[in-house]
Amino acid sequence: MMDTQLLISGVIFGLSIGSIFFLMAIGLSLCFGLMRIISLDQLLYYSIGAYITYSISLVTGSLWLGALAGMVVAGVISFGVERFIFLRIYERDIAFTMIASFGVLIGGVGVIKSIWGVIPRPVPIPMVTQISILGTEVPFYRLLVVVISLLVYVAIWLFLNRTIIGKAIRAGIEDVEHVEGLGINVYRLFTTTFIIAGTLSGLAGGLHAPLIMVDPQMGLEVMPFVFMVVIIGGLGSIKGTLISAFLVGQVVSLGSLIYAPLAQMAPFAIMLLILLIKPTGLYGSKLLKR
Amino acid sequence: MKLFRWWRGILLAFLLLAVLRFFLPLPFSNEIIIFSIYTMGCSFLLGRVGFISFGQPAYLATGAYATAFYLFYFGTNPYIGILIGILAGLLISLIVGPLFVRLRSDYFALVNLALAVIIFYMLQKVLVDITKGDNGLWFLTNIASTPVLDLSKPNHFYIFAFLVALAIWALYKYLNDTIYGACCLASKINEDKVKFLGYSNFKIRLTAFVIANTTTALAGSMYAIYLGFVSPEMTSAHRAADPVVVTILGGVGTLYGPIVGAIAYTGMKDLISGLIGNWELFIGFLLVFIMLAGEKGIWGTLEPLLKKALFRKNAFKSE
Repeated sequence: MMDTQLLISGVIFGLSIGSIFFLMAIGLSLCFGLMRIISLDQLLYYSIGAYITYSISLVTGSLWLGALAGMVVAGVISFGVERFIFLRIYERDIAFTMIASFGVLIGGVGVIKSIWGVIPRPVPIPMVTQISILGTEVPFYRLLVVVISLLVYVAIWLFLNRTIIGKAIRAGIEDVEHVEGLGINVYRLFTTTFIIAGTLSGLAGGLHAPLIMVDPQMGLEVMPFVFMVVIIGGLGSIKGTLISAFLVGQVVSLGSLIYAPLAQMAPFAIMLLILLIKPTGLYGSKLLKR
Repeated sequence: MKLFRWWRGILLAFLLLAVLRFFLPLPFSNEIIIFSIYTMGCSFLLGRVGFISFGQPAYLATGAYATAFYLFYFGTNPYIGILIGILAGLLISLIVGPLFVRLRSDYFALVNLALAVIIFYMLQKVLVDITKGDNGLWFLTNIASTPVLDLSKPNHFYIFAFLVALAIWALYKYLNDTIYGACCLASKINEDKVKFLGYSNFKIRLTAFVIANTTTALAGSMYAIYLGFVSPEMTSAHRAADPVVVTILGGVGTLYGPIVGAIAYTGMKDLISGLIGNWELFIGFLLVFIMLAGEKGIWGTLEPLLKKALFRKNAFKSE
């Protein structure tokens, strides 16, 4: 039915795309868990990361430098957006933050269009080395993406479990008012979390840029998948996000091998199935509304 | 007298709308009417039941495409087309409703958005043989003339849309006044207490979901007949926020908010896209500004002022 070579390359493709989804979904998930906002503008930081990577790698010829610059720029922009917009509307209903972030996304796409134009641009792959796994040639870069995202997972895990700020963030996900009662400035925590989320989205964009073409709508194209990852994993859970990201990645990749339109439809079917069994996603807790 | 009182507000609003018709170009008036029907469902869900839905385009497209399929492949009567659109909306909301209304408000928003995107992909790629993909279905010439109100003429269409909107407003005003409307509001504010009173949250929400999304599907099929063509563009992610934005712009949960919001939003969009090519940028920052500006929206701010003014006038008269 399906030969092993195709299967192995399919699995590797799924893992690499899952890693990208993970890097983006982690931002959405953390922002929701702590601040109870649905931050659609993470998709903008993803596009910005990709475009900065494109520009820098065109000038210097190094993708890694570009991805680093993309991370930094995305982080700085997310800091500005958080300061000027979100800080004023944290207290309001979830609909307000969602639409405000959607406005930032749409407006940002407009800015990108006016700076770089609407034509899709290719970014060169930094390494063309292929390594063979069980007789199948696999691009090394895709494996590297997977390794980087796993490293990010470990780093986030260590940050949340071993540092005092991380512990405060975790406590904030459980109950923000108690954290405030302990004398911790929660708004500083919010800003920290938002910058981390934006930076990781920028990294995702930078790493994804060589695998696809960079175009202004790229954020909106990955949006459904990132949402599905967050919903399946459960809002606010890091472990759930990792697992569901790789799940969705595999479903997209292997599904498209069987029947092309399945790539878009199958994750949705899985999401519905999981929500039917567990309405809060795989690892989502029954968070109370604030 | 009591009956008149009940109708007073709606009739006044629609009288103003009818007067506006003579000052504004016809396509603009039609757009406003359909858009406000579209928004009404969303406003009901958000204001009364507390569900924010980012997936309204999904239901809009369901209605529009059901009508389009009928007019493109089978028949010519636009009224039957609209009926089929409504039935399709009823069907899809009965299928996905029981799944979705069990979810918390935040998941509900995301799941609906995902549904909209999936329907977009289905219309654009998966069902390309039937839907003709991005080209869309064109059936303006297929619409037959009907005796009393000829829907193929924009002039008559406006009267029809106006009457439909009036009926929808009466329905929603009636709903707001019934015990059921009170239950909806109660389940938004405190679902545990609703349970204690012996009502089922699930049933209340499912009914609200079905009513609201059937209204949305009706707006979709009216769009289809008015424009004479449908394309997957109407479900694209860019437009996902439109109804929610208009709802908040007009004032959440108010009866006249959707009309005021639709006029303001359509007007702004027309003006801006006429002046500047890169309208996305401005719409984006406009959204942010609206969200920062206030929670009450245009109608929510105006209503107390108007009431105050009217009340004072009445008091003056009675003296």
